[in-house]
Amino acid sequence: MSEQKIIEIEVLRYLPESDQAPHSEVYKVPFTDDMSVLQGVQYIKDNFDGSLTFRWSCRMAICGSCGMMINGIPKLSCETFIRDYYPQRISVEALAHFPIEKDLVVDLSGFIEKLEAIQPYIIPKEPRTVEEGEYIQTPAQFAEYIQYTSCINCVLCYAACPHTALSPDFIGPGAMALLHRYNMDSRDGGKAQRMELAASEDGVYNCSAVGYCSEVCPKKVDPGNAVNINKINAGMDYFLRFLSPKGGAK
Amino acid sequence: MALAAAKFALSEKGLGVEIYKADVVIVGGGGAGLRAAIAVAESDPSLKIALVSKVYPMRSHTVAAEGGAAGVKREDDSLDYHFHDTVGGGDWLCEQDVVEYFVEQAPIELTRLEHWGCPWTRTADGHVNVRPFGGMKIMRTWFAADKSGFHILHTLFQTSIKYPSIKRFDEYFCIDLLEEDGRCQGVVAIEMGTGEFTMIEGKTVILATGGAGRVFRESTLGGIVTGDGMALAFRHGVALRDMEFMQYHPTCMPITGLLFTEACRGEGGYLVNKDGYRFLQDYGLGPLQDKPKNKYMELGPRDRLSQAFWHEQQKGRTIEHPVFGSVVHLDLRHLGEAYLRERLPLIYEMAETFMGIDPAKEPIPVRPGIHYTMGGVKVDGKCETSLSGLYAIGECASVGIHGANRLGSNSLTELVVFGKLAGDEAAKKAQSLPPGNSPSLLKQAQEAEQRVLALKTKTGGTERMSTLRKEMVKSMEDGCGIYRLEETMQKTCDKLGELRERFKNINLDDKTSVWNTDWLYAIELDYQLDVAQSMAHSAISRKESRGAHQRLDGAYTERDDVNYLKHSEAYYVPGSAPRIGYGDVKITKSPPAARAYGAAGEKADQERNASHV
Amino acid sequence: MSKRRPYVRSMDGWWKKNPYYVEYMVHEGTALFVIAYTLVLTVGVVRLGQGEAAWNGWLEAMQSPLSIIFHLVLLAAIAYHAFTWFKLFPLTTPPLVLQGKKVEPCAIVRAGWTAGVVAALALLVIVWGIAA
Repeated sequence: MSEQKIIEIEVLRYLPESDQAPHSEVYKVPFTDDMSVLQGVQYIKDNFDGSLTFRWSCRMAICGSCGMMINGIPKLSCETFIRDYYPQRISVEALAHFPIEKDLVVDLSGFIEKLEAIQPYIIPKEPRTVEEGEYIQTPAQFAEYIQYTSCINCVLCYAACPHTALSPDFIGPGAMALLHRYNMDSRDGGKAQRMELAASEDGVYNCSAVGYCSEVCPKKVDPGNAVNINKINAGMDYFLRFLSPKGGAK
Repeated sequence: MALAAAKFALSEKGLGVEIYKADVVIVGGGGAGLRAAIAVAESDPSLKIALVSKVYPMRSHTVAAEGGAAGVKREDDSLDYHFHDTVGGGDWLCEQDVVEYFVEQAPIELTRLEHWGCPWTRTADGHVNVRPFGGMKIMRTWFAADKSGFHILHTLFQTSIKYPSIKRFDEYFCIDLLEEDGRCQGVVAIEMGTGEFTMIEGKTVILATGGAGRVFRESTLGGIVTGDGMALAFRHGVALRDMEFMQYHPTCMPITGLLFTEACRGEGGYLVNKDGYRFLQDYGLGPLQDKPKNKYMELGPRDRLSQAFWHEQQKGRTIEHPVFGSVVHLDLRHLGEAYLRERLPLIYEMAETFMGIDPAKEPIPVRPGIHYTMGGVKVDGKCETSLSGLYAIGECASVGIHGANRLGSNSLTELVVFGKLAGDEAAKKAQSLPPGNSPSLLKQAQEAEQRVLALKTKTGGTERMSTLRKEMVKSMEDGCGIYRLEETMQKTCDKLGELRERFKNINLDDKTSVWNTDWLYAIELDYQLDVAQSMAHSAISRKESRGAHQRLDGAYTERDDVNYLKHSEAYYVPGSAPRIGYGDVKITKSPPAARAYGAAGEKADQERNASHV
Repeated sequence: MSKRRPYVRSMDGWWKKNPYYVEYMVHEGTALFVIAYTLVLTVGVVRLGQGEAAWNGWLEAMQSPLSIIFHLVLLAAIAYHAFTWFKLFPLTTPPLVLQGKKVEPCAIVRAGWTAGVVAALALLVIVWGIAA
């Protein structure tokens, strides 16, 4: 085994039943080079203070639970390694722009409501029975939307986007990427319905193209791109409705 | 609109317990639970569905499944082939009538997922593509790159949002089932965000809580895979069946146990030892093949491959890595970067991020790790348990399709096939039942509340939870690993008994209400100890070797169909080790035969076909 | 009664908390310099309309050392704005697929720059031509 080193992890703690406001605590954690920041935090919970609270599960950057601000940057703690910070201290804080429930756990209910609001399901263009088999989707049609299916709902993009805190009703990058994912799917016919929300007061025009959302996305979904494309789409819809009785959206 | 009527009304308040009245309660928001919820919603939109999950549904461990889902797709394949692969793969410990239903429904349910938007990988002409998988005679594994579980889960979760009758209880932790008049009539759960208790009444209840592999140390599994539903049913007298059969996946990341999908081998990857030798040819899986050949070499079943690793280690032919310990190499280099990026993007990313390895340039060090709980809550072919109104599906259930060894890609299909079936069945039953006796149910809920609160509020304990957990996982690995011995299994049984006692003396650091994960983990550990006991005691009682249960001692190294072509059944005994009984195995059209792969398997197939003509 | 008490962190000075936000604010801030230059040009057009004397006065003012320093500052700020504006190209344009492959973001940025430079040169040549 590689030799044991000690890293200092500074955690922003908030215990709602005793704290008025969050405070920092520093822990000295022995680590090996294969250890993630998540494992560091788990070490603290197992050995120093069982009350330290955080979400986690898969450990392999696919369940989307363990996002944290690590030295001020939104990251999945399971795929961020202590060795990359050592010997500097690591600071860990709950994801920015969300209310803190306790320690590193944030309130996600707002995000979930947005996710539900965008109608994230196929609204069939041409309904099909199982007996008729699968829809045919050419490689080109597949390429149109596949990138936007990779979102793991880790909400790092919300912690990166200042507008999600400045305008809390803004649908936000992740949910917009998902909205775009369904709009671009050749099986779907629900674009017009979804664009109403995209073009609304809570929609794409809250975005000022900061671009940090796409920068921090661990799955390269490029949610900022989805938002900005839909500024164009929403704009087109707005102008085209003067020209066509059906409006711009297909 | 009818939709509004289907919405829930917050009903009267009990003593510290909130009450919701549903028709069907589903515990677990993974692939199986979501599929069941959709089935109930579609079969009768007037039924109120409560979907209770300790994590947001898209965090459920279905998300981590990589390789794909099996269902007959190609012209040269048949339901019969899928049936025989599954039954043989399970070393004849399968319920054959259930397997027949399963293979029949598989393509239907996988197609439905496609209609709901699942981005299955396609062929150039736009149809769903399939890939080879271990133990499958013909390619029939539908896949979405190497994130099949992720896509299935998100497709089901997002589709479930369409149905207003599905009321989700996200981040609610289930602590007990309610039983009245010999029927299961609801659950009690803790709202994790507040620490408060909620009683959810239901005319029927479906458990879909996933596996229990976290009772072992090195596993591919997420932290949430703690066997909650198994323990809940177990404590209500329902048998846990075939719990000794734990699947070791042969290609996992050392130490963390993270999974490198079987699709790595399906796409053509090699397993080699320290001499660069494809060692599987020495273990009845040969002869050597240049290209991936179904049921040969790297495409053998998981139990055999993990066992081969163990033998290589004994022979000193594994690679001794300074950090990772004993490993073999998963070699993907010959597949080339472009192909790997297309077919195995997650694997590529994981090797790079977690191990600093470029799989197109270097082989990946791997070793077996715990992956899947073949056994589970005993249910009949309609997914109902011996407790009327209680159903179980997915990894937490033992419906009988996996037998002694699951074939990769059968379990994702299981989620949708039996999720649908259980949803339909539970809906039908709920329609015919009157509402429960609320005051009596509330009394039970309050008792459960007091019991679970006591775990948190009691003082003076000296045991640290993480210590107990570490001792449990170590002991399970020692006693119930790839190969097993009477003596070490006995030690594990004893150790678990000791841990059960010490658990009573546990002390929690956190005594608060809001988001008290210290407390929730303790409840989980309590579940895990029960489930671990059922595994260890089932294992020591099975005096033969079959599938994933392999013994090295005395007369038990071979399969014994005379005495053990039987399901083990573990029954809860309060305050003591479980009682182990046995149940019959349903054989319809495949009498037990030698389980062979590689050239020997092909020969056996031909002989069987000849004798059928 | 629920003991939940979610804590909402202040957004005061949010843009100072991350270098990425600082760069964003500088980018947005340099847009003011673009406006400033359009004002300068607009004044020029107005002066041209007021007759030859006014126009010559404006030209003279443009040649003062202060004006030249001001223009250098404008040039630097607008160049930075252009640089960061091109950097945002991949974010704001629909994904380009060429021969079945997604065009890399850096290629999009390069294409943007090339188009920009070509357009600027073309303008120069045209103006040169008219002037000659």
